[in-house]
Amino acid sequence: MIARMISISRIGTALPPWGNEGARTVGDDEDAVTLAVAAGLAALGDTDPSIIGDVVFVSRDFPLLEGGNGAALLAGLGCDDGVRIREIIGGSPAVLDAIAHATDGTLVIGSDAAGSAGASAVLCGRSGATVELAGRVTRSMPVTTRDARGNSSDYADPRLLRERGVNESLARLGDPRPIAAAGLSAREAGSVCDGNTPKLVTTGASAIGFALAALVEQGASGTVLAVEKATLVVARLGEGNVLVTRDEPPARPRPGGQLAPGASVSISLSAYERAFDAKLRLAAAECADCGELSYPPRHRCIECGSEQPTTLVPLPRRGEAYSVATIRVPVPGLISPYTVVIVELGDTGVRTLVRLTGATPGSVAIGDTGRLVFRLVAVRQGVPDYGYGFLPDSAQAEQKGAA
Amino acid sequence: MRRVAMIGAGMTDFGELFELGIKDIVPMAVTEAVNSVDKGFDRNDIQAAWFGELVATDGFATGILADSCGLLDIPVSRLENACATGNDAVRHGAMAIASGMYDVVLVVGADKVRETSSRSTFWDWMGMTRDAAWDFPLGLVAPANFALHAARYLHESPVATREHLAMVAVKNHHHGVTNPKAQMRFEITMEQVLNAPMVVEPFGLYDCTPQSDGGAAVILVAEELADRYTDSPVWVRGTGIGLDRVMHQHKRDMTTFPPTVKAAKQAYAMAGIGPGDVDVAEVHDCFTGVELINYEDLGFCDKWGAAKMIENRETYVGGRIPINPSGGLKAKGHPPGATGVAQCFEIWEQLRGQSTNQVDGARLGLAHNVGGPTAVSAITILGIDKD
Repeated sequence: MIARMISISRIGTALPPWGNEGARTVGDDEDAVTLAVAAGLAALGDTDPSIIGDVVFVSRDFPLLEGGNGAALLAGLGCDDGVRIREIIGGSPAVLDAIAHATDGTLVIGSDAAGSAGASAVLCGRSGATVELAGRVTRSMPVTTRDARGNSSDYADPRLLRERGVNESLARLGDPRPIAAAGLSAREAGSVCDGNTPKLVTTGASAIGFALAALVEQGASGTVLAVEKATLVVARLGEGNVLVTRDEPPARPRPGGQLAPGASVSISLSAYERAFDAKLRLAAAECADCGELSYPPRHRCIECGSEQPTTLVPLPRRGEAYSVATIRVPVPGLISPYTVVIVELGDTGVRTLVRLTGATPGSVAIGDTGRLVFRLVAVRQGVPDYGYGFLPDSAQAEQKGAA
Repeated sequence: MRRVAMIGAGMTDFGELFELGIKDIVPMAVTEAVNSVDKGFDRNDIQAAWFGELVATDGFATGILADSCGLLDIPVSRLENACATGNDAVRHGAMAIASGMYDVVLVVGADKVRETSSRSTFWDWMGMTRDAAWDFPLGLVAPANFALHAARYLHESPVATREHLAMVAVKNHHHGVTNPKAQMRFEITMEQVLNAPMVVEPFGLYDCTPQSDGGAAVILVAEELADRYTDSPVWVRGTGIGLDRVMHQHKRDMTTFPPTVKAAKQAYAMAGIGPGDVDVAEVHDCFTGVELINYEDLGFCDKWGAAKMIENRETYVGGRIPINPSGGLKAKGHPPGATGVAQCFEIWEQLRGQSTNQVDGARLGLAHNVGGPTAVSAITILGIDKD
């Protein structure tokens, strides 16, 4: 086994606001990609996304197995579309393995949309805390399964999994005593770990990132364990400065809503392709002649009529609601009620029309401030259509009030 | 330009006409118009026809008009201009005569909204008015489209409240009671409007037009021929079409519909009148708040003056300027292609003193549509006087 030395410098985590403190669930406009974007942006903070040279996206809940999630993730992160991106079907062991084998500028993201939802992103490089691979074992104990068609089964034997799965694999690795275990329940983690193992809100691919975040916040270093059924990866976390940023709103019940039966929203893929960069990167076309920002981009400048080629420039993500409408009638294929908002972005004068997100429908008023966040606008004939939603600042207050 | 006379007008009942298809509605409206001509009318006199239809049902629109009305030997064109289709079709008919190209023109507007389920209409209409990539997936249904305007209007107006919206619904239902063609011929109360289930805030159920089927037709002729058909023609005095940015994101001031302001400016100038000269108007009240904004955009009052106008009952029949004596879209119904033509039918009756809800002494009337993604307006001004 070849062990290479890499450090981690930044960790971002993201949780949907819905659910309880023990387990979160995704909203209708969230999936593994939107959570991955949120975690990745949390990890980046104010850092220029151009430092990312490689993205590893690990999940077992990819929205698409064919058609692709990578371009949406890169766009949401603000990365160039020339950046290498790999999608790995896996859990926390795959994430820890990817971190240990990362190179400078690799962003490793684990994202879970099914079950207990959340995402974590770890930025790897030359500074920070070292992560060194200490062992790996891949064994089969398929007590729960999910096939390519989405059919699942549950053998329902947790003791078999523990004794002949996790414990046997640990034995083969020489019975390490980790300080944190990702991919196990809190009780199971406690039984295989030494000391006060961090309690994690997810158990899938994102769990190891949450574990690392908790450890570096405590200033802890030592052996960390990532588990997925009988497959284990063990690594040693060294000491060093790691910046942890958590996009973790307090949990509250997901608002009710009713899906009206009907056909799914139709799509024009040529229109989708034309809009993709501006829409998913929240970027306007800057006029070469007068500097006016047109959003969406258009052939002829909205201000001066110039038809010169334009440049895409990022728009501010904070804004104010100019007008609001809450749709309460059933609309076929949609979940009602829902709220649409015209948001004026920063002091650009640019407005965008988006859905309200992360807040109870109808809970936003004209003049409310907030930010635009990467969301799943609709699934159209099987195609996830990503864009932005308006997360009002009042939603944070609502969350605090509910917490 | 030659003067254009309206010598005949007719419309079907508006409503959920499940028993009638577009191939029934179109000939019914045309025959009503033909039969309305005072001195008789031979449909073989028609030299060209325009058909305003928003959504084609049962296929090829112009062929359906020609075939179902026995007009196989004249040119027929279809016109679609969102909810402004009807008044734009009238404008095209008037232009055809004013230009000297034709002497007798038929204008028909019709739609069969209830040919699809009441819910799927949302997507049918969105597909026509929304940008495929940017707005369509949001679920910006027609009421939301106008609610974004109304919400901002109520936010900025120093006086208007949801109660003022409700007053519009109460008035138009009141007006519709006497109209035998209207879809909703019953009075409603303020309490009913305000307590109705919410559709899209700030519009409750009674703030919204119903979904309707129906057709309307008018016959236009050149001035020289008018005497042959009637001693009391109605004159097309002015027309206008206004447009605006199609995306809501690009409308700087959503408390107004600039298309209406532009269309009105054209139509008033062409007619040589001002808003104060209008005796009666049929305006686009697909949602109650829209009627209030129309008062201001059409110049019937100053900015923010609409609330007081409805509060003081100035727009009731008997008031300073009666608006929507037919019941409007709200109570009469709204088959989009037919709506503008049916407004002209109502004004035609008003100016000839034949309306069931007559405005005394009306000499000048205005018909107005605003629609699409609130980016188009069409206006027709009709008068009993030639000039």
